[in-house]
Amino acid sequence: MMSSERRASMAERRPSTLDRSSVSAERKGSVTVVPHLAGIEDPLPETTPEKVDVLLVGTGLVESILAAALSWQGSRVLQIDSNSYYGDTSATLTIDQLKQWVQDVNQGSMKCYESAKLHISSMMGRGVYRSRDFGIDLSPKILFAKSDLLSILLKSRVHQYLEFQSLSNFHTYENDSFERLTNTKQEIFTNPSLPLMTKRNLMKFIKFVLDWENQPEVWQSYKDQPMASFLVDKFKLEKAQVFELIFSIGMCYNINVKTPEALQRIRRYLTSFDVYGPFPVLYSKYGGPGELSQGFCRSAAVAGATYKLNETLVSYDPDSKIAIFGDGSRVSVSEKVVVAPTQCPENSQNVPEQKYEVQRLTCVVDKPCSEWFGEGEYASVVVFPPNSLKSGNRQAVQALIMGAGSDVCPRGTSVWYLSSTETGPRGEMDLDAALGALEESIMRESSADIENDEGLVEMDNSGHLTLNSVKLGQSFKEYSSRDKLQIIVKLYYKQFTSTPPFEVVDPSIFEINEPNNLATKKLIPGASDNGVLYTPLPSAEVSYDEAITAARILFQSIVGSDDDFFDLDFEDDDEKDQINESAVIDDDEDAKMNMALDVEMSVEPVEFAGEMEI
Amino acid sequence: MLQFKLVLLGDSSVGKSSIVHRFVKDSFDEFRESTIGAAFLSQTVKLGKHDDVTIKFEIWDTAGQERYKSLAPMYYRNANAALIVYDVTQPGSLLKAQSWVEELKHKVGDQDLVICLVGNKLDLCAEDPNARQVDIDDAQAYAQEKHLLFHEVSAKTGVGVAQIFQEMGEKVYEQKTAESAAAAASRPRKAVNVELQRPSTNDSTTCCA
Repeated sequence: MMSSERRASMAERRPSTLDRSSVSAERKGSVTVVPHLAGIEDPLPETTPEKVDVLLVGTGLVESILAAALSWQGSRVLQIDSNSYYGDTSATLTIDQLKQWVQDVNQGSMKCYESAKLHISSMMGRGVYRSRDFGIDLSPKILFAKSDLLSILLKSRVHQYLEFQSLSNFHTYENDSFERLTNTKQEIFTNPSLPLMTKRNLMKFIKFVLDWENQPEVWQSYKDQPMASFLVDKFKLEKAQVFELIFSIGMCYNINVKTPEALQRIRRYLTSFDVYGPFPVLYSKYGGPGELSQGFCRSAAVAGATYKLNETLVSYDPDSKIAIFGDGSRVSVSEKVVVAPTQCPENSQNVPEQKYEVQRLTCVVDKPCSEWFGEGEYASVVVFPPNSLKSGNRQAVQALIMGAGSDVCPRGTSVWYLSSTETGPRGEMDLDAALGALEESIMRESSADIENDEGLVEMDNSGHLTLNSVKLGQSFKEYSSRDKLQIIVKLYYKQFTSTPPFEVVDPSIFEINEPNNLATKKLIPGASDNGVLYTPLPSAEVSYDEAITAARILFQSIVGSDDDFFDLDFEDDDEKDQINESAVIDDDEDAKMNMALDVEMSVEPVEFAGEMEI
Repeated sequence: MLQFKLVLLGDSSVGKSSIVHRFVKDSFDEFRESTIGAAFLSQTVKLGKHDDVTIKFEIWDTAGQERYKSLAPMYYRNANAALIVYDVTQPGSLLKAQSWVEELKHKVGDQDLVICLVGNKLDLCAEDPNARQVDIDDAQAYAQEKHLLFHEVSAKTGVGVAQIFQEMGEKVYEQKTAESAAAAASRPRKAVNVELQRPSTNDSTTCCA
């Protein structure tokens, strides 16, 4: 059973005898909170651990965050994954890995997924693009600038393994065109299309929503009412603004969203705005949750966790506390076995019901889509509110567009991630309709841009560029390109999850195998997963909000309290370091180096001058 | 300061970490506590060959993830240099190092990378001449064939360690300066990354306490 005593954290267990002769006297005075680091200070243990505190099965984002949290807290962790790559349901895959994944889904060996369809253009086969040029996320996510995951990334220093870029463009699809979101106060004031009254009401609402929780008198009577009625009744907002607020800013899935949930989600956007600059959202380069999973796993490894890919859990016996693996090896687990539902052992009977559906359509297209991005940016969000598509969609379809600058695809291409919470065949119809709308729009927009249009600008016999005057005579709006959009990769699949679309995590799934319940709960005879704690799979939620919440709840049920959840202090001396650095190098050298600096590396975040620690 | 990512590779217990530890401790720069949380050590190297330009290595350790071949793509990404370590007293050790070279080339593709093959535990050979199991000529020949830098060192005594980093520093610096001269004209504008530890100051809605 679980010990109620608090375990000493990695930091506290760090021996003070560590040779610090080279550390300056000034540093010596302060308490360092850094554990022994695997490989760097400690020789690595030779063998697989025979005994661990926690066994984690699956390297999805939640399991990986949990692994890092537990390792730094002082638990001995073994984390395995049946795949040859990190990330599980959060993985970022190359095209070759994607092909294998689709096969696995359709053979039923990739649990919690269904009906995967993959089309790959012959351009891939002809070698125009290479498999490794792509990083396709199975559950793409965006990171709000003010969010719990972001502060954990900083605290754990996992952000140092990653690169982040900004995303400021949110589009709402309406009347067959994209309206870019009016999201800043300045834009609201200067937008000529907004009537004065609407401006005033909108500002009033924005002021309210930033502090909505402290003003229950305003919204209490709408607690169980849809957000739309609240906005119309209380703030006299028009349909266009209501839709923008609910679907683009709040990123809700349908019009029935309850007032408090929607308020929470709208505030998330607004408070994130301007934290790092004039944008609310960030994303990680090279891939989303797949990259973050790798980062947290590495962090856990540094704190001593053991990693083994290509390994499966065969069974766990809660009496002997022995877990047996696919390669015949075994480990004694003193505390808990935590398993992703996708990687449950054969013969498991305790997996929580995965009753919610997420449908995804992911395409790689041969257009850079820069028309949709903000200046200097390479990603945007497009939302199709209910009833905006030809399919008469009841739920919103959300699209995340990633350009080549995010390094998830080669130059000249972009990745379109579409998702819907609509169930059954309607879901796929909605996704197809949204893809059609995106395609029509990008063909029209990129044609209107003369410089980029191959149809308008033609090469004559002597190699000179000439304008095609016939096409110029047509109205651009009417102009529909003869060229069809080239789709390099098209992937459709269904994923199941225990997390409802609006909830961040459904906490009840953790109760199934709660240690407290173990005594009262009858173990299922013959089941291979008695006593196992299951993690929630990613939901359709486009933000990372669910991941930390889930990891924290799991952490608490394993450790007994969440006091030590990433309770790290690396004695952050970034500023001090910079001073130290310049002390080593005199100014002359500095100037010399600046001249030699590569363009890319010399980009200092000037716009963020005036450092501030979170 | 120009900064380069250097990754360590090689089987467990060949002494990858000891080499880095020795290098970092013996150098003029102090052991940098703040970078440890992220498990890479930062170390500056002064390049005498290039007007005493100082560069910085960001040295990534495997943190044990190599044991079951479980290194993530993130580990290799954008590496400028790799140190592939074997143990001169272990038979078959060079062969394993060669498979790491293959693994590395497979993972990074055509990425330009300065690779150094390093035979460690030279001190054991000095104590007992029979301890040596990998012939220096074999290793040298292999390194030459694959265009790798090559050194035999002892992390324990420190012999040869500083030279590895010195030579690698010069190599990556030469490569980078040649590259940036060529790229400066042709490369399209790249997106600027957001530094998470540097929130904007014109933030009116929040308060960072």
